[in-house]
Amino acid sequence: MTIGLEHYLALGAILFCIGFFIALSKKNAVGVLIGVELMLNAVNLTLVAFSRFGSAEVALSTQVFVVFIIAVAAAEVAVGLALALVVYRNRQTISVDRTTLLKG
Amino acid sequence: MSDFGFHLAFWSLAAMTLGGASMIMISRNLIHAVIWLVMSMLGIAGLYLTLSADFIAVVQVLIYVGAISVLMLFAIMLTPRAERDNSQTKASAPAALVVILVMISTLWVAVDTDWGAVREAALTEQARLIGESLIKHYILPFEIGAVLLTAALVGAIALARQDDEDAAVHAASLQAELEGEESIDPVDVVDPPIVSDTEATS
Repeated sequence: MTIGLEHYLALGAILFCIGFFIALSKKNAVGVLIGVELMLNAVNLTLVAFSRFGSAEVALSTQVFVVFIIAVAAAEVAVGLALALVVYRNRQTISVDRTTLLKG
Repeated sequence: MSDFGFHLAFWSLAAMTLGGASMIMISRNLIHAVIWLVMSMLGIAGLYLTLSADFIAVVQVLIYVGAISVLMLFAIMLTPRAERDNSQTKASAPAALVVILVMISTLWVAVDTDWGAVREAALTEQARLIGESLIKHYILPFEIGAVLLTAALVGAIALARQDDEDAAVHAASLQAELEGEESIDPVDVVDPPIVSDTEATS
């Protein structure tokens, strides 16, 4: 059995779901960000797999798309961690269960 | 690449990636979770190499393994009095249900669809091709991405920068912690000390 597109897609799907579960279930804000990073990486893996198994134009444009996703993910994680620091400075915790200022 | 070597590379890298991701779910210590994230990211970089995407693999190692993990470790170490444990919220049971449904549907789509995959020769000189298309076809998104990164970094610095009085209060609370006193109530820490000064003068 040769390793084809489906293997990479299945791997990306499983990795996305693990990241999704981590992002939904972790108490610590940094843990949630780790889950989001895993989800973005799963999507990147899927895109690169499509790039390898597609035609030449598809191959190039998906790789450029992956570069953009990595740039946006870097911006997102920088802002997210700065927000976590601000929340910690004001509330002495970064547990998403205990930051309940907006709770009615 | 021989077929056996390719199989070995794929399955071991897949095990490394999924194992690292699972250990993030399991591990109790947040710093260990970041280390497992690094392992998972390295596995993904290897998978990019098996897909002949060498430029993306190098970018992955540089940005995720090198930069983002260090940023996360800094964020953990700059929040010393927060909980270190990597425990889960009460919502994890319904979250698991949703995630299992998503996994079943995405796996079914991934395996069942006819993607019309073609196995052409991989791109060569990918760094040059990607750079050229960034400058030619994708010049507007490229500029927008540059502005986004600049705005995000300036915003992150503006958010994380401490005001002078905040810094003084923070240093005082750290000092109190070092002297082994009772931990300062968060309400006291939030109140700036200026208020008592103005009250005293008035």
